[in-house]
Amino acid sequence: MPGLSAAELSFLEGGIAQDLRNDGRGREDFRSFSIQLDVISQASGSARVRLGATDILASIKAELGSPPAEFPHLGRLELAVEISPTAGPEFEGRGGEELSAELGKALERSFAGGANGTGAAVDLAALSVVEGKTCWVLYADVLVLNADGNILDASAIGIKAALSNTRIPKVEVLAGEGDEEGELELNDDPDECARVSTAAVPLIVTLTKVGRHYIADATGDEEAQMSSALSVAVNEKGQLCGVTKRGSAGIDPSVISDMLSVARRIGKRLLAKVDAEISLAESRLESET
Amino acid sequence: MEYVSPEGLRLDGRRPKEVRQLKCELAVLHRADGSAYLEMGNTKVLATVYGPHEVSQRSQSLHDRALVHCEYSMATFSTGERRRRPKGDRRSVELSLVIRQSMEAAILTHLLPRTQIDIYVQVLQADGGTRAACINAATLALADAGVPMRDLVASCAAGYLNGTPLLDLNYVEDSAGGPDLTVALLPKAEKVTLLQMDSKLPLDTFEAVLGLAMDGCKAIAAHMRQALLEHTRKQAVVRGPVRL
Amino acid sequence: MYQQKQFFKKTRGGKILKVHREHYLRDDIVCGSLACTTCAHGDSTVLSSEAAQYLLIDTNVALHQMDLLENAAIADVIVPEVVLSEVQARNKAIHGRLRLLVADKSRRFFVFSNEHHKDTFVKTEKGEIVNDRNDRAIRRATTWYQSHLAGKTPDVLLLTNDADNARRARDEGAAAQTVYAYVQSRTDKPELLDFVARTGDTGGEAAGPSAEGDAGPQAKRRMLYAEHKGMAELTAGLQKGLFHQGKLRVNRFNCFEAYVGSQSVGKEILIQGREDLNRAVDGDVVAVELLPPEQWKGPEGGIFREHDEEEEGVAENAEEGAGLAPEIAEDAPGAALENLDIGKEGGRVPTGRVVGIIKRNWRNYAGSLEPMKGPGGSGAMAHPLFVSVDRRVPKIRIQTRQLANLADKRIIVAIDKWDRTSRYPEGHYIKTLGDIGDRATESELLLMENDINTRPFSQAVLNCLPPLPWSVSDADVAKPWRADLRNLRVCSVDPIGCRDIDDALHCTALPNGNFEIGVHIADVTNFVHPETPLDLEAADRGTSVYLVERRIDMLPKPLTEDICSLRADVDRLAFSVIWEMTPSADIVKSHYTKSIIRSSAALSYPEAQARMDDPHMSDPLTEDLRNLNRLAKIMRQRRTERGALTLASPEVKFEIDTETHNPLDVGMYQIREANQMIEEYMLLANVSVAEKILKHFPSCSLLRRHPVPTPQMFEPLLRTAAAVGIELDVGSSKALADSLDRAQGSDPYFNKLIRILATRCMTQAVYFCSGELSPPEYHHYGLASPLYTHFTSPIRRYADVVVHRLLAAALNLTPLPERTRDKKSMHDLSDGLNYRHRNAQMAGRASVELHTLIFFKDRAVDAEARIVKVRSNGFIVFVPKYGIEGPVYLTKKPDKGAGPDPNDDFVVDEEHQTITSKDKRQTYKVLDTVTVHIEVQEPQPHRPKLILTLASDSKEQDGFA
Repeated sequence: MPGLSAAELSFLEGGIAQDLRNDGRGREDFRSFSIQLDVISQASGSARVRLGATDILASIKAELGSPPAEFPHLGRLELAVEISPTAGPEFEGRGGEELSAELGKALERSFAGGANGTGAAVDLAALSVVEGKTCWVLYADVLVLNADGNILDASAIGIKAALSNTRIPKVEVLAGEGDEEGELELNDDPDECARVSTAAVPLIVTLTKVGRHYIADATGDEEAQMSSALSVAVNEKGQLCGVTKRGSAGIDPSVISDMLSVARRIGKRLLAKVDAEISLAESRLESET
Repeated sequence: MEYVSPEGLRLDGRRPKEVRQLKCELAVLHRADGSAYLEMGNTKVLATVYGPHEVSQRSQSLHDRALVHCEYSMATFSTGERRRRPKGDRRSVELSLVIRQSMEAAILTHLLPRTQIDIYVQVLQADGGTRAACINAATLALADAGVPMRDLVASCAAGYLNGTPLLDLNYVEDSAGGPDLTVALLPKAEKVTLLQMDSKLPLDTFEAVLGLAMDGCKAIAAHMRQALLEHTRKQAVVRGPVRL
Repeated sequence: MYQQKQFFKKTRGGKILKVHREHYLRDDIVCGSLACTTCAHGDSTVLSSEAAQYLLIDTNVALHQMDLLENAAIADVIVPEVVLSEVQARNKAIHGRLRLLVADKSRRFFVFSNEHHKDTFVKTEKGEIVNDRNDRAIRRATTWYQSHLAGKTPDVLLLTNDADNARRARDEGAAAQTVYAYVQSRTDKPELLDFVARTGDTGGEAAGPSAEGDAGPQAKRRMLYAEHKGMAELTAGLQKGLFHQGKLRVNRFNCFEAYVGSQSVGKEILIQGREDLNRAVDGDVVAVELLPPEQWKGPEGGIFREHDEEEEGVAENAEEGAGLAPEIAEDAPGAALENLDIGKEGGRVPTGRVVGIIKRNWRNYAGSLEPMKGPGGSGAMAHPLFVSVDRRVPKIRIQTRQLANLADKRIIVAIDKWDRTSRYPEGHYIKTLGDIGDRATESELLLMENDINTRPFSQAVLNCLPPLPWSVSDADVAKPWRADLRNLRVCSVDPIGCRDIDDALHCTALPNGNFEIGVHIADVTNFVHPETPLDLEAADRGTSVYLVERRIDMLPKPLTEDICSLRADVDRLAFSVIWEMTPSADIVKSHYTKSIIRSSAALSYPEAQARMDDPHMSDPLTEDLRNLNRLAKIMRQRRTERGALTLASPEVKFEIDTETHNPLDVGMYQIREANQMIEEYMLLANVSVAEKILKHFPSCSLLRRHPVPTPQMFEPLLRTAAAVGIELDVGSSKALADSLDRAQGSDPYFNKLIRILATRCMTQAVYFCSGELSPPEYHHYGLASPLYTHFTSPIRRYADVVVHRLLAAALNLTPLPERTRDKKSMHDLSDGLNYRHRNAQMAGRASVELHTLIFFKDRAVDAEARIVKVRSNGFIVFVPKYGIEGPVYLTKKPDKGAGPDPNDDFVVDEEHQTITSKDKRQTYKVLDTVTVHIEVQEPQPHRPKLILTLASDSKEQDGFA
């Protein structure tokens, strides 16, 4: 990908300073996005999010596993990001590893919640099947098909949408005797499934500092010019669930609190929009089957 | 296990010589020079082409033809059980090589010396016949990118179960342990660019199965050609001058 | 046209997968009716246009009413695809039978692919369970057929025993009927009613005997048995070790005593009593719960006497009759199972009760009806009890309208169900074999019970034979690998009247003082090629079966008696093993080759023996025989020193009247020196070939082994021997052989008797594939040989055919067939051959038993007998002259309802194996000689039994039954 020339750079910065970005958006505007649900039928839940040209696939697979040793009454949520080489030759082979690791960590930070499960994106206690022995493990995988900036925010939207689409089969524990584990009986009716509540799932708003201003939802070009960025996870209640600073330049502390409140504001608007899009996608799905 | 019932129906209701439902979509990713999304039954594959562009590693540049580079990757959620696939594991490397060789036979590489064409194939969901789907998707993506080719490359898999040759096996039929033959064909020239088979097959049955696979390839090629024409027509209408 | 199916599946590893399958709907599925004008007609269009109606069956009808469906009166049946797949998932045997019905075009059964037809596909609604959805699919198919064939003659009738389903069908406009109602409406075939199976479904069937007359609710009837636990609970219990799984083996002499072999417990678990058996039938795989140790029992010591049944006044006064003496351990399972440590733990063994059935292994049973007073009127419904000839199977209650016709016949019956409320299982009649006691019927019965194929060879098999008349051709002679040995002086020695000669010998004195000895075996594999219909049929039959009056061949007669048979004075093809042997029977070299021979004489054993014994005969052939005999004796001695056992079996031979085929006389089979001589060379050939094929094919040779008997199995022998003061060392086969030699008693027969008892401790030798076991396990205990196989009788044993092929491959004459290379198919083959071998033996024994019964029918004889086992109410004797064994009761049979007579008591001394009368006047000890009176009695008409009584007392015992 060729870099931007000095003239283009100043054009970009100048526009941002005047609250007019290259594609006509204001500094706090998100690009329009579309959501498609249940794209991977083999997964427990899946979604495809197109945020501008950024295209990601999020899939949730629910499998039985063992609960974390320190918290036997909880389930697990594992997050991973992978960048497909279809996004560009620079991501082929091991090219995208660093970026995907960074993004994965950022997601984890925002979604996993505290050590004991409080504040996690999903109700981990509800995922427990047999305390101390078996629990549901939700593997959330994000596959980036096309990268045009703001992959993290798109991934969060994707995971939220995929979780809303997730169906976990009902498992019954048969009577065991004493402290012996009973057999697990699976209810194989696809209609008799538990759904995952996505009320607590946060969304991430990444504010990228270009020049002296910060913008939300940077495109690829804009992201290439960033000095630093702050990714803030905001949930329904307006609480902050995780904060990640990226980039090499430093940010003034006073600016940070300002950025946080802006992120909160944008986050709230975004949540409403995302919920609307998700229900739209769901109704489209219903009408198809 | 009965894979073909005495009534002549397979497990999913197809007859032995029928291919699964085929869906193609072109130009799905705009950043790439060419892209295609292909569904063969439940197998879903996305292919993108970047190029022709300057060779990234000067030392590898070929003076008389284009360098074709291919990478195959499988999403962790593509199989029934989630599997963390390390990049560069043997199967991916082998498949990347296989796809590259099949496409190289079709691309008019001598027209593009000192350039590089990157083909990336991403499997989103695997349900048997992955190899064939990848090659078909790659063909469409190359066509979408405008890379000159002497012919489309169509690929199809066939097998032999319960005494009957079967076309386009899905995952269940594939895991039955019978022979699995994948063929890639240049349909106009009727030249085979890829032939891979595992398990055992007596020679006369082999010819029957090969014939069936080639027929399958031709049918798929016709479908792909149709999809390409449709896409081109749509593009022409969108761009203005042609009114249909 | 495209649907997706989604469901969850739990894999064996405990993972849960979401499964996603495609489901295509088609528009090219035909309806299969000749009357239809819209669908294409083809091969599968079988439904006739003249039928009165088409029947459409639902799953339960297919599963339970198979015998009715197989009846020729039922035709033009539509089987929906959904029913076929459900049957396949639930019962493979029934599925196989249904598929056969479909394949038979004359029955006009059509499989309608409703699941893939775009008009009849039914999608599961929200909250609908699988069964309801399937029922809806079946109804949908019925209504579709009705509208599709509207106007054309045949109606479509849905056959279902589910009242709810029938009602809904009628609501939707389809015609539906229960099976019973339909069969009743078939006034053209009233006998169809007998075939209707009794299931628990509602449907207006006649109620069983206990509620006869009043169609009272089930709850009124008493629960006689405990409930069976569900599958999930059983699996959980098995994993935890609460329950134990195993196959139920019922004691042949006491059908309320059974054993379950359990690996988790280590020894066999005893199940005693009707309630504890809880409706399990011999052969079922059951789950057993152990009782607390205080409740553990010991096996009943007495000889079983059936107790009176409290049912409809049918009194059972049957006693156990005499039968053929057992030869090996498997022949007397009751005996073998009883030899548990009675001394330990006060005679108790792990005891348990059946809590659930894991797999039912019901089959068709042959036998006859228990006599009962018939109901008035010839066509009225009766509910007799069926008694199987297999004593391990419980009585089965059936319903029939033709009681008078079936009363004295041998019939075949199948079990349908066994509810908690009914004492006996319920079943239905399948077909009649013939009159009881009629030799032909009884022979057919015993062949059926032993799964022996008596059908004539099919045309496909006969087409594999070379054209007749056949003789050795020039092409055969010209083959370089076939040695021309026609110049050798070859002869064969076989039983009198033998026509299938598979072995011949020659013996030539060599100039260096050694002998060249050859064993020539019929070259059967030259005519039986792998994977041909002839080969497959022979592999399935496994062995020829020898009954008293006939032989059921493994190969067609032209092969067995002519083409392969090494008859005298004709050129024949053979497979030869040739040794060079020193005068002291040491083998210097050996080689194997295919050959052509010309036998000079086909002798019988008496003939050969006479020639050898006659000092006046000194022709070259007789000299050869004498040389062979001398060397054979040396080899035999050497084998004995190595530890080979000389066992004895009470083989009995019948002299059959050529016209009536009834037995004229019966006597013990005489073993002469000539027999032993031939045996010696056959053993040598078998061992040599075993070594050769194992060397070349260490992992896929077919060998024969004889497992070492466990110390437990020797228990009864040791106890008996100890009681008469003889010490037997069973540490090794050599030790046993030596102590058997030393065991001498009061009379000359004593030693033979001990040997017969020793033989009873042995297990059956079995075939196996060399790749499955380690070399030490190849050992043949009885022959004291490290390895052994069967090579010398390919005409009558399939194992020998396989070994011939292995040897030919070892000699690079022909490639080894694919099937022989595959370990799994070799394993299946040896299992199959062992099964067939065992069955052939049992059929042979049953045939001898049948003829013994016929022989004694009009004769009562007194004969000498030896006591072999002592029991609490009598003892078991063995009659050497006739080879029969049976119980002699000393106590009087208790009257109905009363207990045993205390004055009548006899006291048993287990350690000394004696039984003494209370007044100490009579004492009987094991191995004593007594005289018994043998006669056939018929306690019930047409139920003859061989009864043994003490001859000295027989005049006093009038009151005995």
